[in-house]
Amino acid sequence: MSRNTLITVAAAFTMTLGACILPQTVSAQQESAAATTAGKPPPTTPIYNPYPPGILPSDLVSEIDRVLREVDVIEKRAIERWQSLPPPTRSGLRPGPNPPVLKGTGTELTEALGELMLFDKNMSPNRNEACASCHMPYVAFSGPIPSVNLTMIAYPGTAHFRAGKRTAQRHTYSPFFPVLQYNQVQGLFFGGNFWDSRATGYKLRNPDGEQAQGPPVDTQEMGFPDTACVAFRLSKAVYRPLFEQLYGQGSLDIRFPNNTEEICATPGGAAVFGGSVEPIKLIPEDRTEANVAYDRWAQSIDAYEQSVQVSAFTSKFDASLKGAYTLTPDEMAGYNLFKGKGNCNSCHVDGRGTTLMSGQVDTSTTATANPPLFTCFGSANEGLPLNPRNAFYYQSKPDPFGFTPNPLGFGYRDLGMGTFLRSGFGSGPNPNRTWIQFAPTVDGQMQVATARNAAMAPPQCPTTEAPGPYFQKEFFHNGYIKSLKQLVHFYNTRDVYPYDVTSGHCPPGTTEKVDCWPRPEVPSPTTIDMTTGKLGLTDHEEDLIVIFLQTLSDGFTTPYANADTFTGRCMTGGSAKTQGNQFLIPTPPLPACAPEVCGVAPVPNPPIP
Amino acid sequence: MNRLLLTLAIATTLDSLLFSNPAAAQVLPSAKRAERVEITKGPELELATDHLTIISWTTNNPGGSDVHYGIVHYGTDPKDLSQTAKSPLRLNQGHPETIFRVRVTGLTPRTTYYYQVTSMESNGKSDGVKSTVRQFTTPGPGERIVSDTE
Repeated sequence: MSRNTLITVAAAFTMTLGACILPQTVSAQQESAAATTAGKPPPTTPIYNPYPPGILPSDLVSEIDRVLREVDVIEKRAIERWQSLPPPTRSGLRPGPNPPVLKGTGTELTEALGELMLFDKNMSPNRNEACASCHMPYVAFSGPIPSVNLTMIAYPGTAHFRAGKRTAQRHTYSPFFPVLQYNQVQGLFFGGNFWDSRATGYKLRNPDGEQAQGPPVDTQEMGFPDTACVAFRLSKAVYRPLFEQLYGQGSLDIRFPNNTEEICATPGGAAVFGGSVEPIKLIPEDRTEANVAYDRWAQSIDAYEQSVQVSAFTSKFDASLKGAYTLTPDEMAGYNLFKGKGNCNSCHVDGRGTTLMSGQVDTSTTATANPPLFTCFGSANEGLPLNPRNAFYYQSKPDPFGFTPNPLGFGYRDLGMGTFLRSGFGSGPNPNRTWIQFAPTVDGQMQVATARNAAMAPPQCPTTEAPGPYFQKEFFHNGYIKSLKQLVHFYNTRDVYPYDVTSGHCPPGTTEKVDCWPRPEVPSPTTIDMTTGKLGLTDHEEDLIVIFLQTLSDGFTTPYANADTFTGRCMTGGSAKTQGNQFLIPTPPLPACAPEVCGVAPVPNPPIP
Repeated sequence: MNRLLLTLAIATTLDSLLFSNPAAAQVLPSAKRAERVEITKGPELELATDHLTIISWTTNNPGGSDVHYGIVHYGTDPKDLSQTAKSPLRLNQGHPETIFRVRVTGLTPRTTYYYQVTSMESNGKSDGVKSTVRQFTTPGPGERIVSDTE
């Protein structure tokens, strides 16, 4: 493809999407998208839609638009906050080993920069997707579109409608995960970010920061074709002075070629790039500067995500630790089940000493620094069924840019950490060769998420549970579970109602997710976690655990920042037990697991069908 | 009294590690290993369908690594338990007992199997406990056997 053709395709695609998103009130970019597309002819580039009818929700375009408006509201607030902060004191050289700290507002400014980046929709080729497009505050920085959570589960990217493969993980408390390590004494992995832990922190020593470096160049997400596009767009951002204030004058003085804008306006994976991941031709010194800027991006977003605006520790549970709130009898009963019969705290560690015996006193309630994080930083294969609604399976044909997100179709299996350790299809490269041998021991394992904020929902629909009014969320890595009631019921009864069927094929007389659990996507007996599966909880006890989980939502002691920005609709009616079941579809006959996934050494043992 | 001291010791350990700021330090240490691991219930057939069999048993908390594996040695000849199934579980450091559950797949319908169970830490170190040899018979196609005990 010639350069002119590239420009034409990129401009047309931008216009196509611009038609959906143009009425914007705020732009963090000095050169707005509207300015670059004004006066151009109507869009002609077709939308990528390899999906059978019903996979994409009918309100997808309007919901993307709605979230972008909300993103702009928060970006505007962030700009105002940044500009209201007094400058830090840059102290001169002085004796002693004192690092050059920006005294006073250095912390706030660093966090503010991260926030400005996270809500900047210009950080995508079509200027139509920010990090926050898939991670909004009112749901603890997880997926903000109920209909997406109910159907396609993976969020659409900058190139409409490419989509990822997993649910959007909550950002809250992600900065507290340690660098991925293999603990030889335990014989276990701890830490990392992403569901498959592929953001290891190996280089920045910061998994959360390395996580933030993923989506901007993920072909199905924010979709830049080159990491240097981030530095390029930062160099044109209204908050560039803040970046330079923190990281030095000249830190974005990179000599970008004239065609950089055209390149950065074209989604990654486009055939025009010929497989190059660095299509911007920079001299080595400038490439190094761009890489450093990308590391600053990572550090800044991590700072924001660790700030009280995101990881707030302001839940009812936190208040109860301090003695400022007394759990209700139901909440306390749920907590006792959480750490007792339910055995939830074997992985979602609650930081309390132990189950007390009669007459004993809990001496472990005083938080000296961080309260408990409700995760063990480990990973587990919980035996979730394959979710045939996952948009990833259907993207097996080339899009208008000549890119095919998933050539394997339904031959893809999500082995989670196992695929990451093999550097396999759909994950990232494994930077530690000594870990490869452990791949078969972690097949199907996904990160143990913090239980904190699993229940967070917007104020106007303050629950995740039907009949509501509720906000429809999605749970686990593939969104198969649609309510916390279902989540607890799954842990409680996975091995009580197992059926050798795929989703959508439960036998007559049974109800999927109630008394029928389809077979696991990754059925390896040696990796499926057997801590759960038959807990013996009653229906009421399941409800009590859900009530306890709701005490872990931030925003109780102080309002949660930007939780007021949801402008969508709540849902009502139905039962949490069968929430979303009307959207179940029959899984098609599955081809064998593709060699690109299951044939990579060391292969899964036993083999995965 | 010993149990109280153990409780306080664990609580103190958790305090110092969980409530300190560096993220890496929040990975819990291993629980203290039990002096002697004993099976207090089972092993028994928890569930048998035509695609999945689960064997379960209960021990006192063995301590040691966070993840343990239950192991089932089995076969159709009681003198040749040469097949092995193992499944992981995550130890709850605060619980006095641990329930091991192991998935056994690929069995032949309407067939009697003999089995013996053991367990180990995630690094392969045995918990030093072994059951007697027991038996179960798999159901026919479409049938299922469910234990009526919790």
